Amino acid sequence: MNNPTNPFAKPDQQKPTCMEMLQTILDGQATEEQRKYFKMHMDHCMPCYKSYDLDMSLKQLVQSKCCGGAAPSDLIEKIKQQIEQKSS
Amino acid sequence: MELEEEVPKQNYSEKEKGEIFNQEFLPHINSMYNFGYRLTLDRDDAKDLVQDTYLKAYRFVESFQKGTNAKAWLFRILKNSFINDYRKKSKEPAKVDYQEVETYYNSEEVDRQITPDLRVESLKDMIGDEISNALNSLDVDFKTVIILCDLEGFKYEEMAKILDIPIGTVRSRLHRARNLLKEKLSEYAKSMGYNKA
Repeated sequence: MNNPTNPFAKPDQQKPTCMEMLQTILDGQATEEQRKYFKMHMDHCMPCYKSYDLDMSLKQLVQSKCCGGAAPSDLIEKIKQQIEQKSS
Repeated sequence: MELEEEVPKQNYSEKEKGEIFNQEFLPHINSMYNFGYRLTLDRDDAKDLVQDTYLKAYRFVESFQKGTNAKAWLFRILKNSFINDYRKKSKEPAKVDYQEVETYYNSEEVDRQITPDLRVESLKDMIGDEISNALNSLDVDFKTVIILCDLEGFKYEEMAKILDIPIGTVRSRLHRARNLLKEKLSEYAKSMGYNKA
């Protein structure tokens, strides 16, 4: 296969690992060019293809299930009181 | 105390300090409380930790440049307070040898490593508690990177500043943390029979 230049390549031209490419994609830090390259890469890299769905689902699940609710209602008041006491 | 090294001290009036506090710091209180709770696993300790963090942020407000990333700055203070004040109070948990872990995870070997046997379908059957408990059970350094990245949406560069580690270490720690989380969930899925074909 005629490999286009890997847009994930580091400044020293070191080859990025699958883990690094997948993470960059998952964490929304990839450029448009990197996203296109990774899509093509997944066509011939089974581990990446399999990990992508699982990792994406896990990330979304963690996001939806672990973002706790509101801080206790008296916390802001307590903090403000302490600041007033200290600055007076 | 090191907060933002490169920023020169600002000169704010009392009114400006109050404005920064109310408009830039307080809006993050829910995220801060969640972070504090996940680190301490105790609601009262989390309240104390968040309170200490805000008091420090106010005290050192002149090290903060108005309009810059207040959330990252606050997370950094909270993380340092936790390490310096709270972790010392409780018995220090067994330290993971990061050098060894990270050398391994930066190597090519990692791509050939078999990831924990966990399926997307099994994940969807899980209710919130399993995910939350699995996250809470991770070692502090591992759960911290997941919280910062997946819950709070910090970029690698911001995480590197909050945690005082290189970006490469952020990536490898994150990778390791996610694998550990998958292992925990995989064990749970097995115990519940979710993984049966």
